Amino acid sequence: MWAVARKDLSEFRTNKYVMYSILLMPLLLAVVLPVIYLTPFTMSAQSSTPLDVGNAINVTADQTITNQTVNDTVYVHCELVNVVADNCRFEGSNISNCLVRDSFVGNSTLNGSAMFHSNYLNMTTINAMYTGSVDVSGTSQDETFLLQFLNFLMIFFIMIPVIIPTVMASYSFVGEKLNKSLEPLLATPTTDAELLLGKSASIFIPCILATWLSFIPFVVIVDFLISGALGYAPLPDAVWIIGVFLLAPLFCIMSIALNVVVSSRVSDVRASQQIGSLIVLPVVAFFIIVLAGFFSLGPEIMLLLCGAVFLIDVGIVYLSLKTFQRENILVRWK
Amino acid sequence: MIETRDLTRKFNGLTAVDNLNLKVRDGEVFGFIGPNGAGKTTTIRMICTLIAPTSGSVLVNGLDVNDPNDAIKIRSMIGFLPEVPGLYETLSAHRNLDFYASLYGVPADKRERRIKELLELLGIWDRRDDTVGKFSKGMKQKIAIARALVHEPEFLFLDEPTSGLDPVASLTVRNFLLELKKEGRTIFINTHNLDDAERLCDTIGVMKTRLLATGSPEELSREFWGRTTVVHLRAVTPAMIEAVRTVSGVTGVKQVDNKLLIDVVDPVMANPGIVQAVVRSGGEIEFVNELKRTLEDVYIKLLGGQQ
Repeated sequence: MWAVARKDLSEFRTNKYVMYSILLMPLLLAVVLPVIYLTPFTMSAQSSTPLDVGNAINVTADQTITNQTVNDTVYVHCELVNVVADNCRFEGSNISNCLVRDSFVGNSTLNGSAMFHSNYLNMTTINAMYTGSVDVSGTSQDETFLLQFLNFLMIFFIMIPVIIPTVMASYSFVGEKLNKSLEPLLATPTTDAELLLGKSASIFIPCILATWLSFIPFVVIVDFLISGALGYAPLPDAVWIIGVFLLAPLFCIMSIALNVVVSSRVSDVRASQQIGSLIVLPVVAFFIIVLAGFFSLGPEIMLLLCGAVFLIDVGIVYLSLKTFQRENILVRWK
Repeated sequence: MIETRDLTRKFNGLTAVDNLNLKVRDGEVFGFIGPNGAGKTTTIRMICTLIAPTSGSVLVNGLDVNDPNDAIKIRSMIGFLPEVPGLYETLSAHRNLDFYASLYGVPADKRERRIKELLELLGIWDRRDDTVGKFSKGMKQKIAIARALVHEPEFLFLDEPTSGLDPVASLTVRNFLLELKKEGRTIFINTHNLDDAERLCDTIGVMKTRLLATGSPEELSREFWGRTTVVHLRAVTPAMIEAVRTVSGVTGVKQVDNKLLIDVVDPVMANPGIVQAVVRSGGEIEFVNELKRTLEDVYIKLLGGQQ
């Protein structure tokens, strides 16, 4: 088995199309595209790190305050109209036609007012503007979308081990078929399963290495670009570790096995690559559903997904073993 | 020894090989001749355990191709050269042979020695590190033959070994096969080249789905053409022809220019009487010889009408 794998790896090293795929695809999907997609978030996403706005000292509750300049006061269930507030704290209050600075606004309504350099939590705004302020809930819409989008980028780490095998398998199986080198190979004492496993290993190992190695710069890029917006470094986390180290290999196995089946039906390297690439479609569909927010990826969902892909793998590997038999290859492979 | 028993293979209802029964003795060079689609390659593939018989069996040294465990043992005993060399063109000649030697389980030290021996014998040791894609068709064929021999197999199967080669490359390959023949290896050759078959093979099988005939080239010639004595004369007269017809053991007489072609049962018995009859009827004999029938004559007689 390893003799076959080593031979195939030697051949891949001399095949520029395979080498381009192994080197450039991870570079594109794990470095270039994430930088392009995430950079706008670094410019527009707001930090959820609370601003230092000091502590209010006095407390006022259930009152209406109008036409005043106030500071260092906690207002609970108050009506504030035409007020300039500095270093205050508002809880369950209505703030109308006011100017708020260096304050905290919690569970309150900001109506026709302006707010600067303040923290807020569950704030409702009506014709209001606020700038230089921070939503301290930690789960702002921006952040939720950013995390969803980050999980969507996992699609790249599924695409790397799915697409590279379509290129490698097309040369490994269809290439050998076209070169008529399968027949002498099949005349050796090696069993069908050993040949298939050897050829598959020569595809699996570089694909998975490319996937895992490209995860390192990806983590660095993601953490560098969006930890400012999130207030923490999001990667690596459990979802991504399951995705990259378990789901990606399972998809890689699926892609290789499916390409073996495809190889038996086509006699052209490019046709094999194109048909084999169709495996990407359900992967893309799944991650678009994730991006659309129908469900978020948690460790449990990821493990369930791994289980489902594993079951599909078992079926397709069985099919590929049935396809890769001496008799089939020589008599039925086109 | 290779023995096929009622070996049959059908593809989608079409019979490619029909009830083939043959024996190839150890050390024998057996040649299979026949038209395209005659079932020659299918037969080799069945013996090499690449495809299974529809019915019947093949025994290679007593091992049955239908038994999966035996099949692996059979494959380790044979060397196989397919119709197309099927080498790895981006790898070197040495790497190609090394890969196959490792598949056959040849130990690393012995492997290196064997590769060197074969490549030197075929005159390509100096180019062992060149990628095979740079080689001529003849050189590729040599490497493919070396590949089939790298594990020193007991049985060698060659499918069209000189097909598509120029005369010089073809001669090199043929001479190499003659060397292998001297080593006493059992060789099974499929070929369209009747000249090769005649020179190389101890036994010939003429195949067209069924085995039409088998025997040495001489045996086939006698079986299908009988024996013919040729008498070269200064001039041929009708009286001479009539005189020869009456000789015991003569089955037919034909004139071609100044020659008489005389079909006989046994030349040793008939030739003295023929010479006497010719001389008595006034003939001046220049010389007498036996008409040599080639394998091509046998092939045409057996298959010419069918093709």
